[in-house]
Amino acid sequence: MKYETIMGLEVHVELATKSKLFCACSTEFGSDVNENVCPVCAGMPGTSPMVNRKAIELAITAGLLTNSEISPRITFDKKNYFYPDLPAGYQLTQLFAPICKNGWVEIETDAGKKKINLVQIHLEEDAGKLIHDDWMDTTLIDFNRASVPLIEIVTRPDFRSAEEVVAFLEKLRSLLSFADVSDCKMQEGSMRCDINLSVREKGSDKLGTRTEIKNMNSLKAIAAAISYESQRHIDALETGEEVLVQETRRWDDSIGATFSMRGKEDATDYRYCPDPDIMPVFIDDEWIDAVRSNLPETAQDKFIRLTQKLGLPEYDSEIITRSKNLSTIFDETLQYYNNPKEVANWIIVELLSIAKGDNKGEDDVRIDCQKFAKLIELVDGRTINRNVGKKILSLILEEGIDPVEYVEKNKLGMINDTSLISSTIQEVLSENPKALEEYKAGSKKVHGFFVGQIMRKLGGKANPQIINKLLTEALKEI
Amino acid sequence: MGIFIEDYNVSGADTVALEDSIMQKGKQVTAGSKILDNFVSPFNATVVDRLLDGGFKISGRTVMDEFGLLKLSHDDNNTPSGAVRAVSEGISAYALCNDLFGRYREEAPQYDCCYIHPTYGTVSRYGLIPLASSLDQIGIVCRDLSQGFGLLSHLAGKDPKDGAMFPDSKYCYGKTDEKITLGIPRSVIEKADADTRESIMDFINKFSSTDIDLEYFDLYSQVMYILSSAEISNNLSRYDGIKFGYRASGYTDIDDLYTKTRSEGFGLDAKLTAIMGAVVLSKDHYGPYYEKAMKIRRLIKESINFDTYDVIVLPCKISDDPYENLALYSLAPLAGLPSVSFSYKGYGIQLVAGVKKENLLLSTWEVSMA
Repeated sequence: MKYETIMGLEVHVELATKSKLFCACSTEFGSDVNENVCPVCAGMPGTSPMVNRKAIELAITAGLLTNSEISPRITFDKKNYFYPDLPAGYQLTQLFAPICKNGWVEIETDAGKKKINLVQIHLEEDAGKLIHDDWMDTTLIDFNRASVPLIEIVTRPDFRSAEEVVAFLEKLRSLLSFADVSDCKMQEGSMRCDINLSVREKGSDKLGTRTEIKNMNSLKAIAAAISYESQRHIDALETGEEVLVQETRRWDDSIGATFSMRGKEDATDYRYCPDPDIMPVFIDDEWIDAVRSNLPETAQDKFIRLTQKLGLPEYDSEIITRSKNLSTIFDETLQYYNNPKEVANWIIVELLSIAKGDNKGEDDVRIDCQKFAKLIELVDGRTINRNVGKKILSLILEEGIDPVEYVEKNKLGMINDTSLISSTIQEVLSENPKALEEYKAGSKKVHGFFVGQIMRKLGGKANPQIINKLLTEALKEI
Repeated sequence: MGIFIEDYNVSGADTVALEDSIMQKGKQVTAGSKILDNFVSPFNATVVDRLLDGGFKISGRTVMDEFGLLKLSHDDNNTPSGAVRAVSEGISAYALCNDLFGRYREEAPQYDCCYIHPTYGTVSRYGLIPLASSLDQIGIVCRDLSQGFGLLSHLAGKDPKDGAMFPDSKYCYGKTDEKITLGIPRSVIEKADADTRESIMDFINKFSSTDIDLEYFDLYSQVMYILSSAEISNNLSRYDGIKFGYRASGYTDIDDLYTKTRSEGFGLDAKLTAIMGAVVLSKDHYGPYYEKAMKIRRLIKESINFDTYDVIVLPCKISDDPYENLALYSLAPLAGLPSVSFSYKGYGIQLVAGVKKENLLLSTWEVSMA
């Protein structure tokens, strides 16, 4: 018997606003506990939420990027439930008049292109964070995240495989991060995903029992969880040993299985109602047009520009446009030193390998682009050689040194003096008679050994091309 | 029951008493509820800042019914509220309070005071401990409406911290020379006792008037009760013992903490209202109760159009049953309209005018007092 898995997603994306959704508190990640809290976001009586227009603009941006209809009039509603991380006893969200409706996103997998339809995108506030202190056997609350703006993107049940889910999330991340709607960092929780999943016999038009896997925050875990949960459903259908119930489940990454969180899904009544303190917000065409005209380049546009206008290879362009951060570094560095091929090369080969060594992903590398450009120019103009350049790159990243000053101060300028290089070659050859014998016997590897020795004698600063040329000539004469 | 929770012992013509729901920085503010025990306000209500800017002195914080809830349970306590007593006994020139269910509007005339209920959205609610946000409105107990409006001119005007306000930064309250036509809902006035009716008729005779029909009047109390319960239920959710206010001791887990805190912290009326609100907002009741009440509220608003009249005249009492009487005090908050109540020849009269038409109320009162 053949089964198919049917999935729909609810994706929460934290918006990249400077302040919270209903007050002026900062949204900065990593602040001290309860540093960014005021009477409004602490749920104190006597306060009134004031809607952040920037958050609305970012939600409009998300709507435009996902081909959604933007609602001309939006309202905010209260979702009532008690939980210690929810200061007011209700979450402000949008039930009755969400900001975007009926959008779609095109994804591409090995199976081809496919449209994923969106039910809606709505704005809502995030909750605080509970910190369990086992030592004191107590729970503490950090309200820094309370009222940070989110959009929730709700899809139709259009997914049939984990590949499609992952492709959709990657596409969404690319669209939203390139437009500065969100940094979409799953590991920091700025992008989280709930998966609604059911399994049915292929060809059937009835949906099976649905379970929801909550708060997934890595693509790897999502793929694993879908595979596990689908199989659990199939096993239940085939053996009948387990009866599937509609419930919310939690994925445990270390065990590699899902576990029931709470059963009575339909028993939760959130008693939604409009918030009378927030007046409806009207979004006219003028506002939408203004947002549209300020839309930055998408990753796709950028890829076309890199390959077609700047003549970069597709491979390089693909790596750079995979990450908003790398793209920004590329564009900014290019402004200081306009050599696309070299800049791309330095980012992909050198910068990323240092980042990898520091356990940083492509989204986390930070560099002063002006210094980076100067460095590339120094190497490119043969003022220093590439190896010295690599060392200086590390120093820019670690200590923020200025490459030009540093090269001057430490006399790292490349040695192009042919007579000095020639005499050094003679020295090395005469000091290594054994190696010379090997060379004569036909070992070409020794060439590299000589280059290394000569470079060492010259403090690593010599022009490697000149060494190569003169060494080859010198060896021929022997 | 006393007048003040806290008496600042100042006197004079520029003194203002604050109901215990109006927040004052650094002061304990409890809105008459144990659940806010030990709650110290972190900021001043906007009206407090404006009072101080206007050179007024705060005379004290007056006792109040828990959150200003509707008291459906009869009690034998017949003393008036702290705010009305403070003014009627000459201890304070004015008092500010939030009158949702009519207690102050009914009492003020009985104790020779007046009450001003301003247009919704003209006086900031920032720093008012909320009861029902779409109905809450800070009003003024005073001895004389012209003085009361003088005070209101210091308080009214847009506050960026309250999201539901008109954009006007300032309002001028004064007499108008417009000829005023009263709208007389005879079927409502007929419910009042004979003496009140006589006094109202005498009042009406000083003006030109036209008979009007208050459509949906028999639904006012229900709509008011359903909508206010829903909003109050929401607004009471924040009192959970976690962040501020009262917390019960000896709880075993988080649910126990909530249950004990709210059981011990809230009075009976708060509990009943919170439950009623949760019922009308629940999945099965939202449509037939809450949504329907919202629709009728809109119909009520639309039915009061002030096309052939300027000011509606209502009695201040038609029944001993607080729920029935509530209808009289529902029109102004449900439709966001300004109203005044005062004593005319010993009987309470309530006037309601159109949005931001306070001047018509003031003029009507002045003509009647002349």
